[in-house]
Amino acid sequence: MLKIENVFGGYSSSPIIQGIDLAIENAEFFALLGPNGSGKTTLFKLITGQLPIQSGSVLLSGREIPVYSKLEKAKKISVLTQEVLVSFDYTVEEIIRLGRYPHQKGILKQLSKEDRKVIEDVMEKTKIIQFRHTPFSMISGGEKQRVLLAKALAQEPEILLLDEPTNHLDIKHTFQILDLIKKQQQETGLTVLAILHDLNVAALYADRIGLLQNGRLIDVGNADTLRKEAQLKQVYEVDVKTGSHPTVPKPQILMTPEHAERDFFDFYNSYQIEKNSTYIHMQFEHPLRTISNGVIGEGIHWLKHFCNFHVDKHYNCADPKSDLRERLNNYHIPHEATVAMMTAVNLEDMVMETKDINGIPMLVIVTAGVGNAIDVSNEYTISAGTQIGTINTMVFIDAHFTDGALVNACITATEAKTKALHDLQIKDRESDTIATGTSTDALVIGLTQQGEQTPYAGSGTAVGKGIGQLVYRSTKKAVNKYLKRIRQ
Amino acid sequence: MKGLKHLPSSFIQKYLVNKIVWLYILAGGFVLGAALLGLLESSVTIPVSTILHIVSENAFGMGWLDAVPKNEELIIWDIRLPRVLLALCVGASLALAGAAFQGILRNPLAEPYTIGVSSGASLGAVVVIFFHLTIPGLGGFTLPVTAIIGGMITLLVVFGVVRLTNRGLAIETIILAGIIISSFIGALTSLIISLGDQDSMTQIIYWLYGSVAMRGWSHVQLIFPFMIAGAFILLIHYRELNALALGEEAADHIGVNVKRGKIFILVGASLLSGAAVAVSGAIGFVGLVIPHLVRIVTGPDHRHVLPLSMLVGGAFLIIADLISRTIIAPSELPIGVITGLIGAPVFAALLVRERIAGRG
Repeated sequence: MLKIENVFGGYSSSPIIQGIDLAIENAEFFALLGPNGSGKTTLFKLITGQLPIQSGSVLLSGREIPVYSKLEKAKKISVLTQEVLVSFDYTVEEIIRLGRYPHQKGILKQLSKEDRKVIEDVMEKTKIIQFRHTPFSMISGGEKQRVLLAKALAQEPEILLLDEPTNHLDIKHTFQILDLIKKQQQETGLTVLAILHDLNVAALYADRIGLLQNGRLIDVGNADTLRKEAQLKQVYEVDVKTGSHPTVPKPQILMTPEHAERDFFDFYNSYQIEKNSTYIHMQFEHPLRTISNGVIGEGIHWLKHFCNFHVDKHYNCADPKSDLRERLNNYHIPHEATVAMMTAVNLEDMVMETKDINGIPMLVIVTAGVGNAIDVSNEYTISAGTQIGTINTMVFIDAHFTDGALVNACITATEAKTKALHDLQIKDRESDTIATGTSTDALVIGLTQQGEQTPYAGSGTAVGKGIGQLVYRSTKKAVNKYLKRIRQ
Repeated sequence: MKGLKHLPSSFIQKYLVNKIVWLYILAGGFVLGAALLGLLESSVTIPVSTILHIVSENAFGMGWLDAVPKNEELIIWDIRLPRVLLALCVGASLALAGAAFQGILRNPLAEPYTIGVSSGASLGAVVVIFFHLTIPGLGGFTLPVTAIIGGMITLLVVFGVVRLTNRGLAIETIILAGIIISSFIGALTSLIISLGDQDSMTQIIYWLYGSVAMRGWSHVQLIFPFMIAGAFILLIHYRELNALALGEEAADHIGVNVKRGKIFILVGASLLSGAAVAVSGAIGFVGLVIPHLVRIVTGPDHRHVLPLSMLVGGAFLIIADLISRTIIAPSELPIGVITGLIGAPVFAALLVRERIAGRG
């Protein structure tokens, strides 16, 4: 479709574009990324013919760009830039009609039936038909951009060039515009070449990505190109970390600002614990890096509040999430900054242990019930739990873990819990074998992220050993308290 | 359902088409009415039928009255009709040039007078009149050609000054540059006039105010070919003028040859303003007020703004001339006084509206 071969060019004698080779495939969405001044817009202007190519060639459908007349070119390429300022009060439809300029024939250059049909069609597609007679100056920024998109589509182009078309738009209108363009690409085979500033937006919409630096393409590939953190850091000079979108299989980039250095705080003086018969509320002054399977706050986050709510042993709620949220609200605990779990065991039997491992302070809180103890390794089907019984474990550590170390910590804590149940001979009632846990165990690991970063927290490390010992001891104590209480 | 949904839209379409047709009929009627009024109203009262007879007789050789007094025929055919036609041509040219300048500069305040083209054309005309110059081969057309060239040079100088201030074609910058160049050229013009005797000085100063009085058929012949040429050039470029509303870059993206279009439009507008100034002096604000009035009714589409501005501008200047020669009769006011009295406040109002729009 569009072939750029060893192109040099730019404004002055020293070309901004320093030898670019790139082939844009038919019907693909290609995003050009790169910092300001890397040559994205210059490359665009070489493609549209606004700037002269100094050497190399740009081929559109096999023909060199300078060979095209302006009208021929406008039938193949249309451009959508940032909002343009329109003088005089043209109506929306009058603006869109301008898109038919390259198609109008005859001496009078009147709009033909075909022209009118295309105009109706693009207005329908971009959902602006309702303000076709409204002055362009009267509509909002997002609507204006949709009108200009309609004008660009009215040209019936094969390639749509986008030059940061959503720069000034809010996220609603950004996604609206890009969704419209993406739909057009997928349904009609429109080829899209886009300059985008937002790496995350580019990752979501582009089929391929090209990374420009100092007038050279340093990498081309699919969205996973953005997973190369070192390369992005080198190009943008910003500390980045690549994560993944939770529902779309695409990378998302997280930037770290320089001010993110935090003050050191003393672990033992940084929390308060509130405990009564309805809930345990552990509150830290600073947010902790957490990994959890709690009803509220599941996943990996930064959170300050850690709650364990007492519920009736016949608790049966269709929507435990909103139930817990309501409970948190009642106690004025912000649910968006909280890990919350629930248990039917008596909260008085909570066990809390602290220990320093190699100078690393740790704190573990366990509430345990083993009425629903289960051996995951046997083949019995799971029967609905009739007894109260859940082991809820909270582990707080004054250390700095990677995400991998957080997972290590989960494994280690679980192993220690299972070992405690083994040593106490807690059995699965169905199979009469030693249980590995209960059916609804919850766990949270919270890290202050102070000190040297640790990539491992498994059983082979000192901190892993510490987690294991502390969880083992606490779990054992808590289960014993539970057993003592039900025997009474 | 589908049919129903499209009904209002096609209804509006039909309504708009009808509206435009009526606007042309109305504007045409305005021109004829103004012309007739211009022929009718003066110190000597001549009946309408006699006027129509004289015009028809002289133009088409078809008359129906027998004895028409020779002096009445002289007044109508040799004095009033050329004056009315001259006002029509000058008004049409200035209004069309104004609409084109506003479109190409994306500047609602632009017109031959405010961007300095009129003063440049005046200087050219004054030089020719004062020194009785004749360029070989041009003969009587020396005057309009020199005025057109004077106007074009001024336009280039104004653009040069704007470019040097490096502010793009900002609305106020162009007007400011126009005023600066106008002042300078005005001084030059005054200098030339001061060199002459008292008599020619009064004559030229009066001419500079702008007037269509005491001109005759020769002046109609001077402006007519330039008006036709300029109007033709501009009218076939209405789509380019519309496209330029998006800015030059966006116009380029939809396939407009911006450079060529701009040259044609600027040449066309210069032909019109230069020729108008050559025959009537610098009449201000016609090119400002008329296109704005037209746009209020038709919207900004140049397909209709350009021709309607011509019609309304011509009729407007006939009326303005009528007022100028009747309001303090038997004396006459320069027509520029009338257009200035109407135009300057409109200019101010537009400036204020632009500022408010710019802030919002």
